[in-house]
Amino acid sequence: MTDYAHPEVLVSTDWVASHLEDTEHLRIVESDEDLLLYETGHIPNAVKLDWITDLQDQVVRDYVGKERFEQLCSERGIGNDTTVVFYGDKNNWWATYAFWVFKLFGHEKCLVMNGGRKKWEAEGRKMSKERPSFPRTTYRATEPDPAIRAFRDEVLQHMRRRGQLVDVRSLAEYTGEKMHMPEYPQEGAMRGGHIPGARNIPWSMAVNEDGTFKDREELEDLYVTDKRLHSEEPVIAYCRIGERSSHTWFVLKYLLGFGDVKNYDGSWTEWGNLVGAPIEKGNPVEQAP
Amino acid sequence: MTKFESIAQEFRGADAPLRLELLIDYAQRLPELPEKYRALRDAGLNLVHECQAPVFLAVEVEDGKVRLFGDVPREAPTARGFTSIMIDAFDGADAADVEEAPLDALHELGLDSLLGMQRTRGLSAIYRRIKDEAGRKTAV
Repeated sequence: MTDYAHPEVLVSTDWVASHLEDTEHLRIVESDEDLLLYETGHIPNAVKLDWITDLQDQVVRDYVGKERFEQLCSERGIGNDTTVVFYGDKNNWWATYAFWVFKLFGHEKCLVMNGGRKKWEAEGRKMSKERPSFPRTTYRATEPDPAIRAFRDEVLQHMRRRGQLVDVRSLAEYTGEKMHMPEYPQEGAMRGGHIPGARNIPWSMAVNEDGTFKDREELEDLYVTDKRLHSEEPVIAYCRIGERSSHTWFVLKYLLGFGDVKNYDGSWTEWGNLVGAPIEKGNPVEQAP
Repeated sequence: MTKFESIAQEFRGADAPLRLELLIDYAQRLPELPEKYRALRDAGLNLVHECQAPVFLAVEVEDGKVRLFGDVPREAPTARGFTSIMIDAFDGADAADVEEAPLDALHELGLDSLLGMQRTRGLSAIYRRIKDEAGRKTAV
């Protein structure tokens, strides 16, 4: 892991196993696609944070507000100084999403357990069904950080300036052949395709079979050499609803050290339905070297 | 009252944490898949494609009665629990009752608000498949 631009944000399953009891300074947070997975057994002393029922406002189409976020942290015994280690199912897909939301509200010490739930289980490590409880804290969040979140008007301007855009969905979604992810028929949009000029780099290309991130060299080959992204220039990543792109956001920013990376969480469900928004269909256009 | 209605009543009468527990309980109680369907399942056939997890489903209709079989890995407890509810509700039911069961089972069970909108589509597809096949196999 040491070759990454910011190796300090990744920890191994070994590291987590040896820090399970350090609950005074550290909180392990499980964030899964499946709502019930945590209940079937989790890393001992891990708390649950659900990407929909906890992190998303159920009325307004947005994340929870600052006050609700503060409450979520306080209830889980997370203080402003607590080191939070995220892990989850599906190659840490939702773990990086939770990580991104914590960064959005200004939490400083965030880590990701490389390999996620899959690796922990594959290694036959201890799981617990006990729901731990920790002393309540008084958490103070900052206002959402606009440096890591892009809204549609900004994306439009960025596109017009021919800024770097990464579409992390599958090729079939990118070309417009499929209007939604094969498994998610209701998260469709009125139009299929991608934001003009976006490069297609499916998010899962960044992970190995065992759920860990690919090493630095392989990631450089993919994002920089092959797809020609420049680390000094701004990048906006998007997908369908902004969760797969938070995974790519994590890879670009922390593993490859890109300076300015934003997640457009409105993503295709917003753009593909937006009146007048320009779209492009078909195969990726070769980028000039 | 049909079996489905009584399950729905139980779910809707429960508060959110209890409803989650009921669902986990159902996930643990999913009957084992009969031998005759295991080869199909292992070959990846009869899956509900809208689900992210591999949800295996088989619907039979015999003398107007529905037989329902399913299997879902333990790593996907939500889909597993829902499939288990479906079997409890509809295995052995009159095909006509399955066809006429409410269109929005997830709402009836109070699961839509519990799971969040983004999670219900795969489950709706399981339900649709059961109703469709029960109707189709009765017609034949």
